[in-house]
Amino acid sequence: MRKIILLLSFFLLINTSCEKDDFCIKNPITQSLIINFYDDSSKETLKNVKNLYVWAEGKTDSLYINQTINTITLPLNSIATETIYNFSKENVVNQFKITYTPEDEYVSRSCGFKVIFNDVTFSSDNTWIIDFTPETLTTIENQDEAHVQIYH
Amino acid sequence: MYKYIISICFLFVFVNGFSQEQKIDTLINSKTDSIIYKTNYGLRLGIDISKPILAQFNGTYSGFEIVGDYRIKKNLYIAAEAGYEEETTAEDYTNSTSKGNYIRLGFNYNAYQNWLDMNNEIFIGYRYGFSLFEQTLNSYTSNVNTSYFPAITNTTPLTTMDLAAHWSELVFGFRAETFKNFFITLSGSYKVMMQVKQPENFKTLYSPGFNRIFETGTGFGFNYTLTYLIPFKKK
Repeated sequence: MRKIILLLSFFLLINTSCEKDDFCIKNPITQSLIINFYDDSSKETLKNVKNLYVWAEGKTDSLYINQTINTITLPLNSIATETIYNFSKENVVNQFKITYTPEDEYVSRSCGFKVIFNDVTFSSDNTWIIDFTPETLTTIENQDEAHVQIYH
Repeated sequence: MYKYIISICFLFVFVNGFSQEQKIDTLINSKTDSIIYKTNYGLRLGIDISKPILAQFNGTYSGFEIVGDYRIKKNLYIAAEAGYEEETTAEDYTNSTSKGNYIRLGFNYNAYQNWLDMNNEIFIGYRYGFSLFEQTLNSYTSNVNTSYFPAITNTTPLTTMDLAAHWSELVFGFRAETFKNFFITLSGSYKVMMQVKQPENFKTLYSPGFNRIFETGTGFGFNYTLTYLIPFKKK
């Protein structure tokens, strides 16, 4: 009887200790939009944006506050089909609009579903931004390089 | 003091004594032992009581399993289990329910040398398992890894019917005859998935009869069964 109890608890231990076998280590799961800022006069050179504030339209909290940088990473709203960002450089606001079709794709047990953004289109009202490229993307896939180059 | 040391020394003194030894040829009565202990052969049927007990403590699980085996040789049994299981798997981002029927077929080999007419077993076995089930994705939350925008939980259930799984398992267990023809069995199994049908844009996380499917396609099982032997013949 003692042996059986011992064995039972051993199996229970196996059952409970095997509860979690995978952790979501793929990070990030849902890709963000990466934007690099370049110099308009020499389009190969990265150029810092001074006093940059970045916030989404309708939001009060900013993602970037008074920073001087040349690359930004922006999350996209997965429950809408467009995200409008306000880029403020030295108190001049430039609106940058991203439209897309979000799609849920299964990754794994621990990571769940990720959102992939298809048929991405960019537009800008060009106040301090002079130009950007590309205007469309089929999908936002990886985080290895910038998706959009902005010239200013 | 010396007395004790000397006495202790005597503890290590040993003597071999032979008194009952006799050469085999010289035995007068050299008849071999003619008593053969007969054991019952027949069909053994029962249920797995671990599953209803587990269902009592775990609200997300319910299951029922009947087990049976048939002795074909002294140490060899054909064994089968069939049952129904339903389990809700709650993960960080998904919640899904699998339910369906399964059957496992195979054999057990008893590696235990019984004493007299006792009928206990320490067995190893192999099973081929097959299950037919459906899996419902009850709800999921997209893993957006940002708190800047909200992530909504999609609660529209999405059911995939006609899922099937095939697997192999190795069984190891103990069986004891507690009353005449009444057995208690405790066994565990290690399972390797051979083939499983996956739902579209999701994954089969649990298969009835197999339990949770781990990332490597392996799984563990546990049985605690009560069985009754219907004896057909003695030999």
